[in-house]
Amino acid sequence: MSTDLVIGMAGSGGDGIISAGDSLLSAAAAEGYHAMMTKSFGSQIRGGESSCRVRISTSTLYNPGGLLDVAVALNWEDFLKFGAELPVGADTVVIYDEATGVAVDQIPLPGTRPHEVFAVPIGAMAKEAAGTDKAKNSVVLGLLSGWFDLAREAVRKGMAKRWAEKGEALLAANARAFDLGERYAQDHPLKVARRMTRPEHTRENLKLDGNDMCAAAAIYAGCEVFGGYPITPSTEVMQHLSRELWRYGGAVLQAEDEIAGIGVAVGASFAGKKAMTATSGPGMSLKTEMLGLASIAELPLVCLNVQRGGPSTGLPTKPEQSDLFQAAFSAHGDVLRPVLAPTSVADTFRVTVEAFNIAERFQTPVIILSDQEIAQRKETVTPFDPRTIPVEERRRPQGAELEHYQRYLETESGISPISHPGLAGGNYLAAGIEHNEHGDPTGSGKIHGRMNAKRFRKLDPLKQRRDLFCVEGDSDAPLAVVSWGSIAGVCREAVALVRHQGLRVKLLVPWLVYPVAEEIYRDFLASAHAGLVVEQSHQGQLYRVLRMFIDLPSSVQSLTRSGAHPFQPNEIAQRLHMLALSLQQRGPEPHPTQE
Amino acid sequence: MMPSNVRGLDFQSLSLLDALDFAVLIEEEARERYEEFAHQMELHRSPEAARFFWFMEGNEEKHRSALAAQRKERFGDAPSRVTRAMIFDIEAPDYDEARAFMTVREALSAALRAEEKAAAFFAAALAVVTDPGVKALFAELHEEEVEHQRLVMVHLGRAPADPAIHPSEFADDPVAID
Amino acid sequence: MSTLQAKDFKSSLRPIWCPGCGDFGVLQALYRALAAVGRPPHEVAFVSGIGCSSRIPGYTTAYGFNSVHGRSLPIAQGIKLARPELLVVCAGGDGDGFSIGGGHVAHAVRRNFDITYIVMDNQIYGLTKGQLSPTSPRGLHTVTSSLGSLENPVNPLLFLLAYGAGFVAQGTPVDMPGLAALVEEAIRFPGFSFVNVQSPCVTYGQESQQAKAQKQMMKTLDSLGHDPSDRLAAMGLAQQYGEALHTGVFYRDPNPPPTYDALVRERQRHEADGRTRDQVFELFAH
Repeated sequence: MSTDLVIGMAGSGGDGIISAGDSLLSAAAAEGYHAMMTKSFGSQIRGGESSCRVRISTSTLYNPGGLLDVAVALNWEDFLKFGAELPVGADTVVIYDEATGVAVDQIPLPGTRPHEVFAVPIGAMAKEAAGTDKAKNSVVLGLLSGWFDLAREAVRKGMAKRWAEKGEALLAANARAFDLGERYAQDHPLKVARRMTRPEHTRENLKLDGNDMCAAAAIYAGCEVFGGYPITPSTEVMQHLSRELWRYGGAVLQAEDEIAGIGVAVGASFAGKKAMTATSGPGMSLKTEMLGLASIAELPLVCLNVQRGGPSTGLPTKPEQSDLFQAAFSAHGDVLRPVLAPTSVADTFRVTVEAFNIAERFQTPVIILSDQEIAQRKETVTPFDPRTIPVEERRRPQGAELEHYQRYLETESGISPISHPGLAGGNYLAAGIEHNEHGDPTGSGKIHGRMNAKRFRKLDPLKQRRDLFCVEGDSDAPLAVVSWGSIAGVCREAVALVRHQGLRVKLLVPWLVYPVAEEIYRDFLASAHAGLVVEQSHQGQLYRVLRMFIDLPSSVQSLTRSGAHPFQPNEIAQRLHMLALSLQQRGPEPHPTQE
Repeated sequence: MMPSNVRGLDFQSLSLLDALDFAVLIEEEARERYEEFAHQMELHRSPEAARFFWFMEGNEEKHRSALAAQRKERFGDAPSRVTRAMIFDIEAPDYDEARAFMTVREALSAALRAEEKAAAFFAAALAVVTDPGVKALFAELHEEEVEHQRLVMVHLGRAPADPAIHPSEFADDPVAID
Repeated sequence: MSTLQAKDFKSSLRPIWCPGCGDFGVLQALYRALAAVGRPPHEVAFVSGIGCSSRIPGYTTAYGFNSVHGRSLPIAQGIKLARPELLVVCAGGDGDGFSIGGGHVAHAVRRNFDITYIVMDNQIYGLTKGQLSPTSPRGLHTVTSSLGSLENPVNPLLFLLAYGAGFVAQGTPVDMPGLAALVEEAIRFPGFSFVNVQSPCVTYGQESQQAKAQKQMMKTLDSLGHDPSDRLAAMGLAQQYGEALHTGVFYRDPNPPPTYDALVRERQRHEADGRTRDQVFELFAH
């Protein structure tokens, strides 16, 4: 019996591979499994090589997993293009179309000899059932159902829904193809049974990707205006809101370019409404000036960056975590702006709501650093009541505060009550130019110094927000891991694995990535004799940022590489074992903070 | 073609009340313009020109109050049907008359042109108005403008000659501020 | 009848413009127009970019936003999208509007928010000390075209007319009341309205553009017998930009289409289904 199955499938776009994965995912969600699906494809708009990976489990998942348990190749040429995403091992059950003409002992996977390999007449069965070999994906679903007992009923229900609009004939043909596949699997059983265990709860889970989740959270948090521009992989946020935001009295405007997109959001915020924009790396570069404007004008704003491979056009359909430097530092002048990073589809909700709350409370742009993996990974999410997360509003001036109103009043907290057009008595000039408390332009160094101090000081409380950090593991562990973004999900699994294997390890996952909460890191690292900062960028950007602000012990190393080649749990687990060994070999060293 | 500087007011049917209100507004407009010029001169550090414009501002205010008092005496708080939107730069110097680093003579010349403009206006208006009371008022105002011109000429006579090299020649180049 | 007066819109900030600058007259015209329209200052949002003329919002008592170079139109549209009940005015110079901001103009026009855009066109970059601007005539010698400009100028009037703007006018501070009337009309026009103002720069502008020259050159479109409901005739006259100074309304759409903000409100009304924001996950139910 299996409690956790990772299925990788590849073919060409015309084969409907991704639809098949989606059907599987929906079925898993419907039956109460935890599941997630990632996709990968070539650069043709349609019909190029296409793959997906679906991981199904009876317990919560944090990442799409490592080696495949099942590999389905509709043709080898396309499958091999996804070497990094679809790694095959000895225990992988390999299923491929007999029509490729490859013999079972000659499959072109270098350095691997899987125990179970099936050359299945997938195309032929499809042709027999539906009159066309394009029904291959339904055959595959049948095979998977037959071999692994994968949510059979739910899959069939899902198929019915999907094909219903296209007509009875098509539905029947696909149902036949499914049946043929299932029967084949039953007639050719696996050497080692791998049937999926039923999940404990059969409550239906939601099925969402990170972009869906971000849009849902924005709605919940009270976003009223979204201005943006299409860019892979963030466009879905705008698309989703463009369907839904109106019903709540909000509006979405697809602007003529990235700059106009954030400009609309800045204007809406000035008008007193919660506003958001979304983009990826190249768009962030264009939005830099407007972000600076929002910072000095002290306007709340949420800016989502779904990171992709960079620099420049980079790798538009692959994840990377290489925009941290840009998010934290890209501004002329002295600017401090909060940067939050979700680690999964599930926590994208809370992170997005927190982003809005922080933006409104501190009157600042807030950047959410998601990445392509989280944004486009479809995941099951256990339903929850969003009302457990409070929503904050900006502090508006009232009563006496509106007499001789000073928009940028130097309060102790640094936060000045903010008015908006329409509010009598609150008239003021917002500007990118430096200003005094009233808002009048000034060139005075003294005032400028005070205003900078105000804009920085108001954000100090963020560094005390322990609720924006997740700490797991043994609190006095000598081995410490810090990780952020989608890779944190991989680390979670790795740390759980090595703890199970006897190591004492702890993990810190910051949702608040910038400003650096020095005290929280220091407390976390106090017991550490060695550690890793694990991320996805050539430079190891979080590692370097941490070193700017805290005395990171030299025994805490950077484990990083460029994106589009994510770490897998066992890579990190191995590294942790090596670190543990090296600790034993060199003996306990006096830790810098102990003495 | 000159821009029209009176709109929405039919001069032929102008009553004395209208005419007085009209005169008050002309002075008010001129006073505001001289005040603006004075501020501009201060901001751009030409204190002598500023002083002169404050002087003119004071004159216009005196004249305005006198006319306003006259109006109050004759017509009390009767509602006015004349508004500022109906007049434009009748006695107020054109915006174009101000310049950074103006000398006192230049400021005086600007005031002189404004007074000449006003006098010409009243002379033309006199030809059109029918009400005898209004005619009398406008004739008086015309006289005053002529008298003002004389005064300004006297001041010009007394004012120091402009230096051979204009102050603007000594000024630094303009700076870029944004 | 509005009870507001021009001085209700005057702020205490003293303009940094050079004495003699045409923008003083534009400011006066704005005060008058806003007073005539009658919305109180706190219901007016005045957005600008960067430049001498972009300083203008600070000299009014309205809510102002002196933003970044060339980007006032998107911000103004964002304000109007968020609070359509506000009176939104946008202003800037010819560089702000037609150089760096040029890409935004077509979209502001075709979206047709009820916003008024005033460009103070002086055919030069004043704030940064006299560089070439997109409306500078060919051959002009400036600090960045020391040997004479090789470029043909943009024609703001033709642009706006060709993009399809519903209201296009031109004025000059030399006829301040006329300009005030145009701005008032532009504000009242239901849709995106554009007023190009030939506002001379006394420090860097050419002689031929100064107030004195304007007084000689200017001609009202009325006096030419122009029919402002005729877009093609307007475009014909607009082609003389640079040689002639025509003031008045070039084009006014007699049947303006619904504004973007009106359409947004209609859509919001139509889509409202009583669902509250905390019920958001219902949208994802299978």
